[in-house]
Amino acid sequence: MSTLAAEFKSAYGAGSGDGLAAVFTPIATQNKPYRLQSFYDFTNAASLQKDLSFALFHGKSLKVPRAEQTAWVDIFAAYWEAVGEVLKCEQGRRDASLVAVFIAWKKVANALIRGYSSSSGIPAWTLPCLYTVGKYLRTFAIKADIEAAAQGTSGFGFQDDVAADIEKNANLEEAARIINRMFTLCLSDRAPIEESRKWGIYNTTNLIFKTYFKINSVGLTKNLLRAIKAQSADLPPLEAFPKSHIVTFEYYVGVIHFLDENYAEAEQHLATAWNMCYRGASRNKELILTYLIPCHLVTTHTLPSDQLLASFPRLEKLFRPLSNCIRKGDLVGFDKAMSAGEEEFVKRRIYLPLERGRDIALRNLFRKVFIAGGVEEPKEGQPPVRRTRIPVVEFAAALRIGTHATNRTRVDIDEVECLISNLIYKGLMKGYIARERGMVVLSKNNTAFPGTGV
Amino acid sequence: MSNSTTQNKAEPSDQPQQQKKPQVLEEDDEFEDFPVEDWPQEEAEQAAGSAANGGSEHLWEESWDDDDAAEDFSKQLKEELKKVEASH
Repeated sequence: MSTLAAEFKSAYGAGSGDGLAAVFTPIATQNKPYRLQSFYDFTNAASLQKDLSFALFHGKSLKVPRAEQTAWVDIFAAYWEAVGEVLKCEQGRRDASLVAVFIAWKKVANALIRGYSSSSGIPAWTLPCLYTVGKYLRTFAIKADIEAAAQGTSGFGFQDDVAADIEKNANLEEAARIINRMFTLCLSDRAPIEESRKWGIYNTTNLIFKTYFKINSVGLTKNLLRAIKAQSADLPPLEAFPKSHIVTFEYYVGVIHFLDENYAEAEQHLATAWNMCYRGASRNKELILTYLIPCHLVTTHTLPSDQLLASFPRLEKLFRPLSNCIRKGDLVGFDKAMSAGEEEFVKRRIYLPLERGRDIALRNLFRKVFIAGGVEEPKEGQPPVRRTRIPVVEFAAALRIGTHATNRTRVDIDEVECLISNLIYKGLMKGYIARERGMVVLSKNNTAFPGTGV
Repeated sequence: MSNSTTQNKAEPSDQPQQQKKPQVLEEDDEFEDFPVEDWPQEEAEQAAGSAANGGSEHLWEESWDDDDAAEDFSKQLKEELKKVEASH
């Protein structure tokens, strides 16, 4: 205990929230492998409260109001119990249980929430404690769910699959409810902003986002976003928060819009997350791009650069085959790449927007016809102009290339016209079909294929 | 006997491989905690003024033109055009 108490005193004295949070980190660290054990051994259940208040607040080193002292002692008492359960697991004892760790850790979380809620409670600068306790609440809940599933005894005795599915995340769902209270605790603080728990709003939101994504309840995130929006006038601007809070928040908001197929809005949030992301955080950058790339394909019809894919091997594998086929206008290759990657695309929930890449592949194929058409005889003194009247049969011939048609395949002209009008309708091509002449008349002045330079 | 010893030898090397597999499968879309809470803009992906330095601004493919393949495509297109016209 002496170490943990000393850590608490020095962090509190220095006003370091991160230092306090480190005290409540329930793992042994490399340079202090016995920190939890020695904390646990220093007292016993009977004299816990007395020993704690002596170790933490005896003497004149710290000036902490009486009510707040009581709150800390309660938190440490719950922490001591939880550490006992953690140690049992680490020692591999027969009565060790991850569910018990979670139950004990819930008490730590509840004691902390109580400490913040009471009128003369814990000050807001200690919020990193809330982040750490919340983070481990979630971690322990996930572990407890895995343990309960392995033992097949979470005690409810439901029979059908739906119930089993709910049961599967029972602990994590409970964690979500507690983290939700942490969120409310931050959002509803009325103290002046410099000493307000409102600074914890995005961190706790991110924690719930992660949790809701894990239990497949993404829909519930809307409630949080609504609550934040309703309070936005009283919140500091997003840019005033630490970048780790912002980037994580923007990533999840982006993915939420993405799943709603609001790709333009999703792209805005994901691009913000990307631009602000810590350069060394390669896994997070990879995650942002996993959604940003399909967004960009849908909104601006462009592909990731070779340079970008080359620096992320996983993304290279995920997007390269598809990208190549889109660029070449290879429709058969595109379909093959879609079905080869289907499982991974579905798992990452990017199948739908990627599927739209087929239109871009077709656009590129038809664009090549336009380029191959060359230029018309330049008029006197005029710069050469691209041929903008192109027979439909040329597009039909291109379609034979794109679909790897064999000599026996017949390409139906009606179908070609249908594909062309579809691209025109979607704004990927500009012009009209003069059916009676079997011609496609494309827009002049480099606007036939908007955004592609011709 | 010799059979069982080779099996015993093989096992330890097999096991770590099997244990690695679930880890890969477990990997989901969860955003990781950053090593630090905050960082200056210079350490962000798009550092201030990086566009001027030619920094990270090469995310997207700018051009659709592929001059090398254009001629091939032209030839191929003529070939296929004959087939289309023959069939109609």
